[in-house]
Amino acid sequence: MATQPQDIQELMRRREYSAGFVTSIESDTIAPGLSEDVIRLISARKQEPEWLLEFRLKAYRRWLKMEQPKWAQVHYPPIDYQAISYYSQPKSHKDGPKSLDEVDPKLLETYKKLGIPLKEQEMLAGVAMDVVFDSVSVATTFKKKLGEAGVIFCPISEAVHEHPDLVRKYLGSVVPFGDNFYAALNSAVFTDGSFVFIPKGVRCPMELSTYFRINERNTGQFERTLIIAEEGAYVSYLEGCTAPQRDENQLHAAVVELVTLDDAQIKYSTVQNWYPGDEEGRGGIYNFVTKRGDCRGRRSKISWTQVETGSAITWKYPSCILRGDDSVGEFYSVALTHHRQQADTGTKMIHVGKNTRSTIVSKGISAGHGQQSYRGLVRVLESAENARNHTQCDSLLIGDRCGAHTFPYTEVRNPSARLEHEATTSKIAEDQLYYCRTRGIAEEEAVSMIVNGFCKDVFKELPMEFAVEAGKLLAVSLEGAVG
Amino acid sequence: MTLAAYAESFEQFAAGLPPGQRAARREQLGRFLDAGFPTPRLEAWHYTDLSALGARRFSPVDPGGTAPAVEWLAETDRLLYLNGRLDRAQSTLPELHADDSSAAAADDSVAALNAAFSSGGLHLRLDRNQRLPRPLHVVAFGDTAAASPGMVHQRHRIELAENAEATVVFQFLGRSAGRLTTQVVEVSLAAGAKLTLYRLQNEHDGATLLTRIDTRLGRDSRLHAVTIDGGGGLVRHDFNMLLAEAGAEVELSGLYRPAPDAHIDNQTRIVHAAPHCRSRERFKGIVDAKARAIFVGKVIVQPGAQKTDSEQHVANLLLSRRAEVNAKPELEIYADDVKCAHGATVGQLDDSALEYLRSRGIAGAEARALLLRAFGAAILNRIAIPELRRSLALQLGLADEEEFEDAAAETLA
Repeated sequence: MATQPQDIQELMRRREYSAGFVTSIESDTIAPGLSEDVIRLISARKQEPEWLLEFRLKAYRRWLKMEQPKWAQVHYPPIDYQAISYYSQPKSHKDGPKSLDEVDPKLLETYKKLGIPLKEQEMLAGVAMDVVFDSVSVATTFKKKLGEAGVIFCPISEAVHEHPDLVRKYLGSVVPFGDNFYAALNSAVFTDGSFVFIPKGVRCPMELSTYFRINERNTGQFERTLIIAEEGAYVSYLEGCTAPQRDENQLHAAVVELVTLDDAQIKYSTVQNWYPGDEEGRGGIYNFVTKRGDCRGRRSKISWTQVETGSAITWKYPSCILRGDDSVGEFYSVALTHHRQQADTGTKMIHVGKNTRSTIVSKGISAGHGQQSYRGLVRVLESAENARNHTQCDSLLIGDRCGAHTFPYTEVRNPSARLEHEATTSKIAEDQLYYCRTRGIAEEEAVSMIVNGFCKDVFKELPMEFAVEAGKLLAVSLEGAVG
Repeated sequence: MTLAAYAESFEQFAAGLPPGQRAARREQLGRFLDAGFPTPRLEAWHYTDLSALGARRFSPVDPGGTAPAVEWLAETDRLLYLNGRLDRAQSTLPELHADDSSAAAADDSVAALNAAFSSGGLHLRLDRNQRLPRPLHVVAFGDTAAASPGMVHQRHRIELAENAEATVVFQFLGRSAGRLTTQVVEVSLAAGAKLTLYRLQNEHDGATLLTRIDTRLGRDSRLHAVTIDGGGGLVRHDFNMLLAEAGAEVELSGLYRPAPDAHIDNQTRIVHAAPHCRSRERFKGIVDAKARAIFVGKVIVQPGAQKTDSEQHVANLLLSRRAEVNAKPELEIYADDVKCAHGATVGQLDDSALEYLRSRGIAGAEARALLLRAFGAAILNRIAIPELRRSLALQLGLADEEEFEDAAAETLA
C-alpha cells in the first residue's frame, strides 16, 4: 500500500504530460484544481441553465464543509482533490492506439478468454473507431426503435437541454446534493452520464445498456445517471461490461438515481471490471459510487444486481427507499477481491410504506490478499406495516491471507415487521474439490466451477448474456488464486 | 457539554485517597475529561448517546442508604457492595475485597471515568488446580438517601491459574432512580481454567448502568457466561472476549427484557486470535412498550486463527409499536479455514403457535405468556443454579410464582 501515493502522483503527472501535447484546437481541458470558478466554467462550457449551475454550486459549498468519510473497511492514501482535472472534452480517439496491434497483449488475451468479438475488442481497448462503422452501428438502429416507443435514452447533458423539466424535477431528488462526500463532489462537477425516461405504461422494448453509448464512453469519472419509470413502465438497464476497459482516471465517483412511480419496475444490472491494480496493488481504480432507487409509487419495484470484480477499491451501496405501499426492493451482489483489492459494498433497504418487501443476497469471494466487507442496513420505520426482509450474505475465502467481513445493521420500529439475516463464511470444501478432481477436473477449473455454483443465486438475476459472461469473468479474475 | 461537575467531584473524591494513588487517578480523569462521554458519532456508540450525562452532577461519595435484605442464594459465598462500599456484616469472604484499582490505560472514556473514581472491588485469585467450593455471589446494591443522586464506580478482577475453576455471580440491584453506576470486570484465565460467570441486572428503571467485562482466555480454557438484563433505565454492557491461545472456548448467552421506557445496549466482541478456538453466542430479546434494545455482536478471526468455529445468533421479539430493536451481528475474518455463521431475526410471536394453543383451550394473554416463557427459557436454562433460574424468571415476568417448577421450564425449552 505504501507505494500508492506515488502512483497517484505519477498518474497525475502523466495526465498533465499528455495534456501538454494537446494542440490548441483541443485545449478544452481545464487545469487541475477545484473552485467555484472551475464549476462555473464547466457549466458554461456545457451551456447549462442557471438552475443547474446553482445546483452545482450548492453542492460544492456543502462539499467544502464535509470530511472524507473514514468508516469503510478500506485503506488508501489520501486523495488530493486539487490535483484532479475536472473537465475535459470527450477525447477524440486520436490519442488511443491505432489498431489492436498496439494494445497490450495481456489485455487481448483476457478479451479472448471472455469471448469478446473483434469489433468490440477494438472499442473496449479504445482503438480509433471507423466513422462509418460508428454511424451505422447497432446503436443508431436501437435509438430509432426506442423513439417509437417513446423512451428517452440520451446523455444527461443532452437531456438538460432537450427535457429540462424532467431533469429539473428529478435530478437530486433521490440523492440530494449534500447526501455524502462523494455524492456532493459528483453533484458539483459531474460531466455526463445517462438519462432514461420510460413514459406511462411503456415496457422498454429492449435492454438498455451504457455500452450503446459508444461516443460518450470516456465520461466515466464523475458520471451521473438518472432513470425514471412512470406509472406501469418497465426497463432493464445494463451498466458496464465484463471486459477490462481502458481508463485513465483513478478516482471514480458516480451517482445513480432511480425513480419508479406506481406499478413501475426498474432492473439495474452492473458488471464492473475496471482496472484492479497489479498483483502488488499498484494503480487501480477507486470506485466510490452512490446508487439509490426511490420506489415512490405503489407496487413499484427496484432490483439491483451487481457483479463487482474490478477496481482497487470498491465502495458502493445500491439502496432502495421503499416509499410506496407494496413496493419491492431487491439486491443481488457478487463481489470478488483478489490480489490487493478491497471492497466495502452492500445495500440499504429503507421500509417506509406498508407491505413493503426486500430481499438481499450477497456473495463475497476473497482470494490472495483481497479484503471485502458486506455492509448493509435494513430499516423498518413506524409506518411500514407488515414489512418483510430476508438477507443472506455468504463469503468464500480462498487462501489464508484474505479477509471477509460482514456488518449488517438492522433497525426495526414496527412490531409487524419480520426480518431475517443469515451469514456464513467458509472456504471451499475439501470434499467438493476432491470430488471434482476424482472426476478428472483440474483444481483451478474445479475452483471456478464451485465459485460459479456459489454465485448462482445472483447470476440467475442477470440478463442472459451477462450471466454467461459473468461466469467466465469470475474464472479469469480468479486465475492464479489456487495452487 | 460540561464536565465541570465531574472535575469538582474528583477533587472531593481524591481528598479521601491515599496520596500515592492520586496522580494515577488524576491522569485517568484527564483522559476522561479530554474525550468526554461518548456520542453516536463514535461507531461503537452509534445507538447510545451518553452526552446528556455530561451536564449532570453525581455525588462521588454516597454514604446513605440502608442495607437491603438481599435474597441470597443458599449455597454461596457472598460479597455485598452498598453504594460501592463493602458491607462486611453481610459478606462471608470480605478478604476478597481489594481497594486498589491500578488500572491499565483505559481505551475508552467510560473506562477512564471508572478508573479515576474506582472504589475497588472483588479480587479473586485462584492458584493452580484450585477450585472455588461454592459459587461466589457479588451483589452491588444502590440506594441513595442523600438529596443528590450518587455515582458508583467499581472494578473487579478474576484471575484463574492453570486448571482452576470458579463460578461467580455479579448481580446489580437498585432502589433509587437517577444513579450512575459503572463497573469493569477484568478476567484472565490460564491454561485449562474454567469460569462460569453470570451478570444479572435488575436495577431501578431510572438508573444508568455502564458495565464492561474484559476476558482473556488461555490455552484450552473455558468461559461459560450468561448475561441477563431485566431492569435499568439506560444500560450499556460491553463484553470483550479474547481467545488468545489454542483450544479456548466461549459460550455466551444473553437475555434482555427492558423496562417500558428503558434503553439497553449489549455489545459483544469475540476475538479469535489463535487456532482451534470455539465460540458460541446466543442472545434473545423481548422488547415491548417504548423500550429500545440494541445488540451488536462482533466476531473477529485474526490472521492465522485457522480452524475457528464460531456461531452467533440473536433473536428479538418486538411487541409494541413504539418499541425499537437494532441488531448488528458482525463478522471480520482474516483466515480461510474457518467455520463462521451468524444470524439475526426480528419478529413477533408466531401466529400459528398462538392458534395451536387456542385450539387447545389456551387463549389470549395466557397463550402469549406461555410462548414468551418458552422463548426466554432457552437462555435462562443455561444458568446452572436452579434457584437463580427461578428468581430470574420471576423477575423477568417469565414465570408465575405458584406454578413455577424447574421441570416445566425444562420442557418448555
